[in-house]
Amino acid sequence: MAHTECCDTNKTITLTIDGTDVQVPAGTTILDAASKLGIKIPTLCYLEKISTTGACRVCAVHVEGVARPMTACNTPVKEGIKVTTQSPELEQIRKKTMELMLVNHPLDCPVCDAAGECDLQDTCYGLSVSKQEYAADLERLQIRYDWSLLESDPNRCILCEKCVKVCREITGVGAIETQSCGDRAVVETISGKPLDCDFCGNCIAACPTGTLISKPFKFSGRPWSFEVKNGICGFCSSGCQIEYHVQNGKVARVTSDDSTYNNGNLCINGRFGYSAFNAPQRLTQPLVKGVDGIQKSATWDAALATAVSATKEIVAKYGAAAVAGIGSPRVTNEESFLFAKLIKEAVGSANLDSEARLGYAQAQELQAKMIGMTGATKPMDALEQAGCIIVLGSDLKAESAGFGYRAIKAATKHDAKLVIASARPTSLDKFANSSLRYKAGSEGFVAMGLAKAAINQNKAVAAEGLDAFKQAVSATSFDQIQAATGLDEAAFNDAVSFINGQVAVMYGFEFIRSADAAAAVTGALNLATLTAADVYPIDEKNNTQGMLDMGVAPAAGGKDLFAIVEGIEKGEIRCLYVMGADLLQLPNSRKIAAALQKLECLVVLDLFPTATAQLANVLLPAAAAPEKAGSFTSTDNRTQSFTAAASAPGEARPDLVILGDLYARLSGGAIPSLAALQQEIKPVVKKKLERPALAFTAPQAHAAGSMTLLVAPFLRHNGSYTSWSENNLLVAAEAVVRLGAADATRLGVKDGDNVTVTASGASVTLPVQLRDGIPAGLALAPTHFPASGISGLMTKSASLTVTIAKG
Amino acid sequence: MAQVVFSTWGGTVVDNRTVTGEPVAASYRLPVAFDGQQPLRAMMGWDGVIVFDKDVDVPAMAAEYMQRVQTLFCCGKCTPGKKGTKVLADLLQKVLKGEAKPGDLDQVADLNVLLQNCKCTLCPSSTKPVLDAVTHYRADFEALCDGSRQPKNEKYLHKITAPCMDKCPAHIDIPKYIEEIKNYQYSDALATIRENMPMPAVCGRVCPHPCEAACRRKNVDDSVNIMVLKRTASDYEWMHKMQHPANTAVMKKKTIGIVGAGPAGLAAAYYLALQGYRSTIYETLPEGFGGGMVAVGIPAYRMPRHILQRDIDIIQTMGVEIVYNCRVGKDISLAELKAKHEAVFLAPGAHRSKPMGVEGEDKGYKGFLTGGIDFLREAYMGRPTGMGKKVCVVGGGNTAIDCVRVALREGAEESVLLYRRSRKEMPADVWEVDGADEEGVKFEFQVLPTKIIVDANEQVTGVECVRMAMGEPDASGRRRPEPVPGSEFVVECDTVIPAIGQDADLSFIPPDMGIDISKWNTVITKYIPLKDAAGKGLNDSMGNPLSRTLITDCDGVFAGGDAEIGPLTVVACIGNAHRAANVIARYLEEGKAYLTEQEIFEDLLTYLGVYDKNESVAWLDSADRAGQKEVHGKARASKGNYQEVELGFADSTAQAEADRCLRCYRMAMVAL
Repeated sequence: MAHTECCDTNKTITLTIDGTDVQVPAGTTILDAASKLGIKIPTLCYLEKISTTGACRVCAVHVEGVARPMTACNTPVKEGIKVTTQSPELEQIRKKTMELMLVNHPLDCPVCDAAGECDLQDTCYGLSVSKQEYAADLERLQIRYDWSLLESDPNRCILCEKCVKVCREITGVGAIETQSCGDRAVVETISGKPLDCDFCGNCIAACPTGTLISKPFKFSGRPWSFEVKNGICGFCSSGCQIEYHVQNGKVARVTSDDSTYNNGNLCINGRFGYSAFNAPQRLTQPLVKGVDGIQKSATWDAALATAVSATKEIVAKYGAAAVAGIGSPRVTNEESFLFAKLIKEAVGSANLDSEARLGYAQAQELQAKMIGMTGATKPMDALEQAGCIIVLGSDLKAESAGFGYRAIKAATKHDAKLVIASARPTSLDKFANSSLRYKAGSEGFVAMGLAKAAINQNKAVAAEGLDAFKQAVSATSFDQIQAATGLDEAAFNDAVSFINGQVAVMYGFEFIRSADAAAAVTGALNLATLTAADVYPIDEKNNTQGMLDMGVAPAAGGKDLFAIVEGIEKGEIRCLYVMGADLLQLPNSRKIAAALQKLECLVVLDLFPTATAQLANVLLPAAAAPEKAGSFTSTDNRTQSFTAAASAPGEARPDLVILGDLYARLSGGAIPSLAALQQEIKPVVKKKLERPALAFTAPQAHAAGSMTLLVAPFLRHNGSYTSWSENNLLVAAEAVVRLGAADATRLGVKDGDNVTVTASGASVTLPVQLRDGIPAGLALAPTHFPASGISGLMTKSASLTVTIAKG
Repeated sequence: MAQVVFSTWGGTVVDNRTVTGEPVAASYRLPVAFDGQQPLRAMMGWDGVIVFDKDVDVPAMAAEYMQRVQTLFCCGKCTPGKKGTKVLADLLQKVLKGEAKPGDLDQVADLNVLLQNCKCTLCPSSTKPVLDAVTHYRADFEALCDGSRQPKNEKYLHKITAPCMDKCPAHIDIPKYIEEIKNYQYSDALATIRENMPMPAVCGRVCPHPCEAACRRKNVDDSVNIMVLKRTASDYEWMHKMQHPANTAVMKKKTIGIVGAGPAGLAAAYYLALQGYRSTIYETLPEGFGGGMVAVGIPAYRMPRHILQRDIDIIQTMGVEIVYNCRVGKDISLAELKAKHEAVFLAPGAHRSKPMGVEGEDKGYKGFLTGGIDFLREAYMGRPTGMGKKVCVVGGGNTAIDCVRVALREGAEESVLLYRRSRKEMPADVWEVDGADEEGVKFEFQVLPTKIIVDANEQVTGVECVRMAMGEPDASGRRRPEPVPGSEFVVECDTVIPAIGQDADLSFIPPDMGIDISKWNTVITKYIPLKDAAGKGLNDSMGNPLSRTLITDCDGVFAGGDAEIGPLTVVACIGNAHRAANVIARYLEEGKAYLTEQEIFEDLLTYLGVYDKNESVAWLDSADRAGQKEVHGKARASKGNYQEVELGFADSTAQAEADRCLRCYRMAMVAL
């Protein structure tokens, strides 16, 4: 990494290292310049992706004319300098520095988790540090066994501060800090209480020793005893490149290398969510519901035959339109393609859709119409070039952490201005130049307010249809916008004042799942068009975009998700295929549950015995992301392929295999191979319109009650997938209702007390979690816990009027 | 004269331990008694050891010195520092306990070399006195090793400092906040700044930054841009809509009345509030014009008003009341104020323009304005300034520069500065003079106005001047400018603004209150009688006694700021007022106004000098100092344009600039 971003990096500097000339851009460090020559200088505290620290002092080099050693990792080059990286003096300095580092370092390598992948071991070995001249009184520091997921043994710490900096600079958390002085200096939580953070574990990855280790991984094996295979993370839509460490066919841990697209950075789901793959609840054999209504294990052949004969029977009796399919944002592109082929071709039904119909699908239809393409218009790394990032209705780290990390990097290291409009406090607020806290449900007005302000403050370009658009928005005054959003004109003007350079408009959950989603998303796209911005839709799940690209959507005349449910209710649909989706955690779950009971045949492919799976006539155990091959497409349109790393438990099979078998049996054709499918899938070509036009959708005012519940993704989980992950549950065990101080006081509740939330005649009772920054009149609940019953309160949109009472 | 027994300070070894004849003379900028009473027996620090009392146990002192460095100040953030000082501290403790072998002492020299590769300066600088002690007092160390002698128990005091933080009159922990900026911890950096500087937005913009003149990075290439880094931390807060942390102190009953809402008054109120004391500030000007000389004396293009007001608002939210439109001495008497509050702090500033001493200035001519500061105030408050089209400002300080630049913004067609010495000798900051130059101000250097020329209506039409040249050196060896005979000329103008200097208007202090006023028109406060070896009192750079309690001869009445120091800088007033707030709190708590040992030590180090401009600092000069962006072109000074001229750093620039800091902490310790 360039040492300094303020100097003219276009200038070329020539210097000599160990007698050889090298030319590098100004601002390059001596370390990087040496590496260009293939000269390796030992380092311990250096980590390219964070700011330099210069803590270990092992990379000391000699610069002619400078009467002290300089550290190569954080010293920029200078024209004409002569650098020596190897000399008896330098060797002495490095060795003795290592000796000092080892003073009182515990000799517990045999039981240290880092043994075998310890930079301290490697560096000592590399420098042949084999004696110890120094001694000091031994004062052992307390090992933190009381943290969740992580354990910290400060006695092993060399205080390189990589963990501290990764936590602060990459993930934007800053949960840990060097505390105390001298030899007692220790990396500790700032509060001194047990760690309470995102639990992304990026600090573990950065730790060069066994100081910070993963508790779930502890003592599960030596690093060299695992098979390490590359994969693409199957949780959120950031598409992180990961490594599965596999032993006996099971994923024992997940890591990521700093050389990846995601710079080795993961979130809790990527790093710890793997315990879902190993969950004891995983389905391991096909189940077929008997006449007694109880699911009993069956052979694959019998189960598939049952599903196929029931389907054929229904088609014969009621026509193919009596069959429908609900696809999955979790499965691979190839599986989605085959699922669509199965329903549309083998069965011949147009009734195909997915949970993306809750909003993301329509948002992409709007994008296709308005800007000519779906998904993000640029890959996520382009965010680093943005002058201004406008985040609309998204808690980026909770919804898609990779995008969150990029936005933090853009704001903190590349001087991007950050505007966040959101109904709830978000994990990026502290980096925001403007935080617009609007009333949930008023997203359409928020987008309009921003567009109006951008036009008024001369921040808008001469977009296609500008005059008509101005005319249309002039009908709504800022007073009306304020009445809907709670934000005044000054707030909007302030927000748009940060527009500069290349703008990126990111819109997420609250906009996509708004009660006024059409106006909200249209408004977000208008704002992007007005500011010539790159567009980034954000979705919580790994392959929503790919699934849509593969055509998992109603065919002409077919029913969408809502119509399918109604069709079942009306008896029009009698057979339903559900792949990797729990319909009973969607809004209106009580209605859906009643409908599913009416089905003659419900075929479910899933990893877990979800509520939907438990209703299945035929339940087919599927394979998780590491257990299969295929590709995922992140919301920024990066399609990445992977091969299987682990084995599915028991008799579980990849969806592709199950679907292929079903396809063959239903169509009478051959089982399609992965290669054949990949051949068959037409390349998805996307191009943004050169001159997208503004469109206007009038936002709708909603009569909101005094209390609004926003059901949204929380940090520490991803969908309901991680509710099967023991690791995630350790740090977020159950559904809660988050309240701000004002409402808690009004209700007379404190942290941990129960409240009952009532809406549309249904109630759920959940514990309260107090959180700063939640405005009065807003309560938050997570989307992650199907059993909580929250979805039973909802109708469609993510926010709803509720009443909340103590107890 | 107190004799120096032994010293390595300043690079010269003075050893009078065994001298039989005349001892080697040596003197250091230190008092004979630390606080006027306790003899200063020895000192250890970054530059070595000074022993005044032969009975001081140097090995024990060295051991204690290293122990304190390791356990109290070593940040632990680099290997040699963290572990090296630990090994040294433990080794010296073993020596004291008689558990070490004489040969073990060789490790001190070995580690001294290794510690030169430390990340910052504290730990390497701490090995210097220890190595000096081991080298020159080896026998004393060895006597402890073999148990033939027991270490003495003596009283030590320590003080952490750095050249920049020592030179900063407010003693901001500069290396700390710079490191926090380097680590992207802007809020933490601001909190660090606020520990000693309650107006960071102001001193991030208009401070003459004496700290930068004492920056060791200057010995490598160029000083760190400390001031703009302060601005970065301060701007980060409001540019991210962050709130100042609330005052969590439990508020007490006693209150303080403060005269003047300038930097001193506001700073004292802020630090008193943090200690639980409510203040009421009585300010002459109306609401919206708080800030004292910062408001009326520093134009908005240097110090934007909303940002100044934000600093003032924050201070008010801490539990401070400001009563505007209230001139003490007119609207309320000082005696009334004293009766109303348990303590009074006088910080009226220095707002009275000094006369020029030129023929005609007292005639009340039209176009001859009272003074620079009055002109700036009227312009700032949007009142008629009496200025015409061709303006002559007389003076060479920052106020004079502010006047010529404001004159342009008030619509002057020509703005001329008359100064009797050369450009190089101007007391105004170089960048301010350059700024005026860029905006089209005309300069007449080495001229002395002698007479105001008026027409029949007594309207100014010009200033008669005479050119000056350097005369022969006087008795003190200094050459003074002298008029060149026959060089008289007239500068045509319709407005003359004298900006020669200001002093305090202390007419509000009734003579019967027992408050003494100096011949320089400053309030006299009590001080610690510190004397050097020659018996001379120790003074600060303004000629005031070095260590002052800031209480006047009238019990319960304290004074600070320009009216106590003499007209100086915002940062000096704030440092002085912070000290006053601490003393006032002690006075209210304990009934005594006194300085702590730490405060006295702080003053002593400033007197001694922490920065050495001749020090050879080994470092590679490969990262240039970053300058802030600036609006350029004459249009920036067009009529009515008070937009800020300097634009600060982008955060990434600040982070890189912060990385240039050498973090020059060092610890001093005295034996008393």
